[in-house]
Amino acid sequence: MEYAINLAILFLIYAILGLSLNLVVGYTGLLSTAHAAFYGIGAYAAAILVTSHNVNFFMALLAGVLASALAALLIGVVLSRFAGDYYALVSLGFNVIAYSVLLNWQGLTRGPLGIPGISRPYLLGLAFSSNGPFLVLALIFLAMAYIISRFIAGSSFGRVLKAIREDEGAIQVFGYDTVRYKLAVFVISAAMAAAAGALFASYITFIDPSSFTVMESVFILAIIILGGLSNLKGSVLGAAIMVLLPEALRFAGFPASMAAELRQAVYGLSLILLMLFRPQGILGEYRL
Amino acid sequence: MNKLETQDLVKRFAGVAAIDGLSISIEAGRITSIIGPNGSGKSTLVNVLSGMLPIDGGLVVVDAQPPLKSIRPSKAPSYGITRTFQEVRLFEQMTVLDNVLVVLTERNLRSAFFERHRAHHLGQAEAVLTRTGLWGKRGDLAVNLSYGQRKLLEIARVLAMCATSQAGIILFDEPFAGLFPQMVKTVSSIIKELRNSGITAVLIEHNMDLIRELSDHVIVMDSGRLLAEGSAAEVLERRDVIEAYLGE
Amino acid sequence: MEILSQLIVNSVIAGAMYALMALGFNLIYSVTRFFNLAHGVAAAAGGYAVFYLTSSLGQNVYIATAAGIVSAGFLGYGFDRLVFLRLRRRKTSSMVQLVASLGLLTSVQAVLAILFTNEFQTFPAGHTLYNVLGGAITGTQTAVVASGFFITLLLALILRHTMFGKAVNAVSDDAEVARIVGIDTDRVTGRVFFMGSAIAGIAGILTGFDTGLGPTMGMGLLLKGVIACIIGGMGNVWGGTAGSMLLGFAENFGIWKIPGQWKDAISFVILIAFLLLRPEGMIKK
Repeated sequence: MEYAINLAILFLIYAILGLSLNLVVGYTGLLSTAHAAFYGIGAYAAAILVTSHNVNFFMALLAGVLASALAALLIGVVLSRFAGDYYALVSLGFNVIAYSVLLNWQGLTRGPLGIPGISRPYLLGLAFSSNGPFLVLALIFLAMAYIISRFIAGSSFGRVLKAIREDEGAIQVFGYDTVRYKLAVFVISAAMAAAAGALFASYITFIDPSSFTVMESVFILAIIILGGLSNLKGSVLGAAIMVLLPEALRFAGFPASMAAELRQAVYGLSLILLMLFRPQGILGEYRL
Repeated sequence: MNKLETQDLVKRFAGVAAIDGLSISIEAGRITSIIGPNGSGKSTLVNVLSGMLPIDGGLVVVDAQPPLKSIRPSKAPSYGITRTFQEVRLFEQMTVLDNVLVVLTERNLRSAFFERHRAHHLGQAEAVLTRTGLWGKRGDLAVNLSYGQRKLLEIARVLAMCATSQAGIILFDEPFAGLFPQMVKTVSSIIKELRNSGITAVLIEHNMDLIRELSDHVIVMDSGRLLAEGSAAEVLERRDVIEAYLGE
Repeated sequence: MEILSQLIVNSVIAGAMYALMALGFNLIYSVTRFFNLAHGVAAAAGGYAVFYLTSSLGQNVYIATAAGIVSAGFLGYGFDRLVFLRLRRRKTSSMVQLVASLGLLTSVQAVLAILFTNEFQTFPAGHTLYNVLGGAITGTQTAVVASGFFITLLLALILRHTMFGKAVNAVSDDAEVARIVGIDTDRVTGRVFFMGSAIAGIAGILTGFDTGLGPTMGMGLLLKGVIACIIGGMGNVWGGTAGSMLLGFAENFGIWKIPGQWKDAISFVILIAFLLLRPEGMIKK
C-alpha cells in the first residue's frame, strides 16, 4: 500500500510538471528544456525556508513560487528573443546554469550535500506527515494545476498562444505584442513547476541538485510528448505512464540498483519511437 | 484626402534596393491597385507598410499624422493598417473559428485572460465566416481547408479586423491568385463592399480585367520606383508601362 | 608570468578538445540543419569502446584507439540510418529531429551506465609532464592539441579539395538542388555522420586518457562543442575551431578570478551574449 501511495504521489508531482510545461511547449510551441530549473528553484526555496527559517510549508511554497516566477521573468526576457532550435538550446543553457548555481552556491544550498530534514506540511492543526494525507494534498495541487491550465487553454489568451505557435509573424501583424504573451505563459508555467518542486521537497524530505538536471527537464518533456502536446489530459496520462513504466520493468526482473538508468533508457527510447512513429503522442493536438 | 503616403521610401536587401525612393499617395476610401512586373517591389512594399520588414529610409504618413520612420510589427493595426498574405499564412493547427476569433479579441493581456465579450465576438465571427462562406467549416483545422477556402479565410480575418474597427487600410496581396471564378466574384464583391463602407483598399494584382473592374486608381511600380499612375484606362495604355511588363 | 603561461597552455588544450567536438557537430549540422544532441554520446561511446578493449580484452592501446574511433563513427552512422534518415524522408521539422536526438542521447547514455556502471573509469596512461613556454602539459594533452589542429586542417582540406567535400558543400547549400544535379544526398549525409561521430570519438577517447570516463561525459563535451560552433559561426569549419579557442581561453582566464566549478555557467553566459549581440558568430558563412 505504501508503495502504491508513493508511486501515486510521484505521479501527481510529475503530472503538475507536465501540465505546466505543456502550456509552454504544447500550446505556445516553445521547446523549453529548462523546466527542471524552475522545479528546482521551488524545491530549494521551500526547503531552505522550512529548514533554516522555520517557515510554514505553505508560506515557503508561496515564496518558492514567487522566486521561480521572478527567475522565469528574467530568463524569459532573454529567451523571448529566440525561436525553434535556438530556444531549445538556450533554455537548456539556463538549466545548466541553474544546476551549477544549486551545486556551487554552497552557502545557500549546501551544494552536493543537499538539504536533509525538510519537514512535512502542517496547516491549521492538520499534519500531512504520513503519506496518505500527503497524497490528498498532492491531489488538491494537481486539481488546482489542472483547473488553471484548463482556464488558460480555453481563454482567448490560450488562443493567442496557439497562434504564436503557428505563426508568430502573422499574429503580430494583427496587433499582438507576442513577447508579452510568451513571457506571461513562461512565468505562469514556472510558478506551477515551483509548486511541484516544493511538494517534492517536503515529500522526499531531502533534496540535492541531482534531481534538477537537464535530464530531468528531458524527462518532463518526454512525459508531455508521450501524452500528447497541447492536450491537458495527455500530460496527466503521460506522467502516469512514465512514472509507472520503469516500475513495471522492475517487476519484470531488472535489478533495482539500475532503476535510475533504466528509467532514463525507457524515456529516451520512448522519445525516439514517438518521433518516428507518432510525433503527436497519444492524445496530442499539435505536432512539433 | 490621403489615407497613406510614402515619402522617398527605401528598403534594401543585402545592399540592393527593392524599394528605391518610392513616393506615392493612397487616397482614402478608394481602391488603389499597385501593379508592376515581378520583382518590382510590390510585395516588399506591403511587408514594409505592415511592419513585417524594417524601413531602411524615408517616411510613411498615415491619416496626415506625424510621419513614421519605423513601424513595429505589432503596431501596424494601431495605424489602421492590416493585410492579407500572398502565400497564405493561416494558423494551421487551429480551427477556422479560432483563426477568426483570435483576430477579434482584445489585445491587452488582462482581457485576454478574462474575455468579457465572448458572445459578441462569436457573433462577429459568425458574420464574417458566413460572408466568406466558411461558417460550415468553422470546426475544421485550417490546415485541412482547400486552397480556395484558405484564401477566403485570409479575407475573413481581414473582415474581422474591420469588425474591431482596427482596419482603415487593407493591403490585399494578390487575393485572387489561383481562385475559381465563383470565389473571385465573392472576393471582389467583398472588396467593393469594404470600399463602400469607407475602407481604403490597396490591391496588388496581376489580372488586368480585375484591375479595370475594381480600381479607382492605379499605381505602376518598376524596380522599386514609381513608373506611372492614373486611372486604369490611362495607365494600361501607356507604352512605358507595357514595355516594363514585357521586359526589355 | 608562470601562471600566465600555464593559463595559455590550458586554454589551448581546452580549445583543442572543444574543437574536436565542434568540428563533427558543425559538419553534421551543415548537411542536416538540426542540432544533433546525440553527438555527445558518440564521444562517450568511443571512450568506452577503448576502455572495454584495453581493460577487459587486454588489447593494445593503439589498436583499441583505432577501433574506438571507428565504432564511434559507426554509432553515428547507425543513428542516421535508423532514426534521422527516416525523419528526413518524412520532411519533419528540425525540432522533431532535435527531440529524437535528445532521446538517443538519453537512452544510449543510460545503456553505457548499465554496461559500465556509473563509476568513473580511468585508462592506464602515462602522465609524463612536458614543458611548453613555461607551462606544463601531459603527453595526452599534447595529443589533444595536435589532434585538434590536424583534424581541423584535414577537414578543411577534404571539404575544399575532394569530390566528397564538394558534395558535402552542395548538400549544405541546398539539399534539393544537390539531389537534382545527381548527388546521393542520403549517402553523403550518412558519411558525414560517420566522419563527424568518429571525430567526436577521438574527443571522447582523449578525454578518457586525460581525465577518465563517466557515462554522462558526452553531455558536457557536447555542450562545449555546440557553444563553440555557435559563437564561432554555424556551418563553417574554421568558425567552429575559432569559437572553441575563444571558449577555451574565456573559461580558463575566467577561472583565474572565478572558482573553477562555474566553468559551465561561464560558457553559457558567453553563448547567450553572442546570440544576443552577434548571432551570426565570429565567422559568417
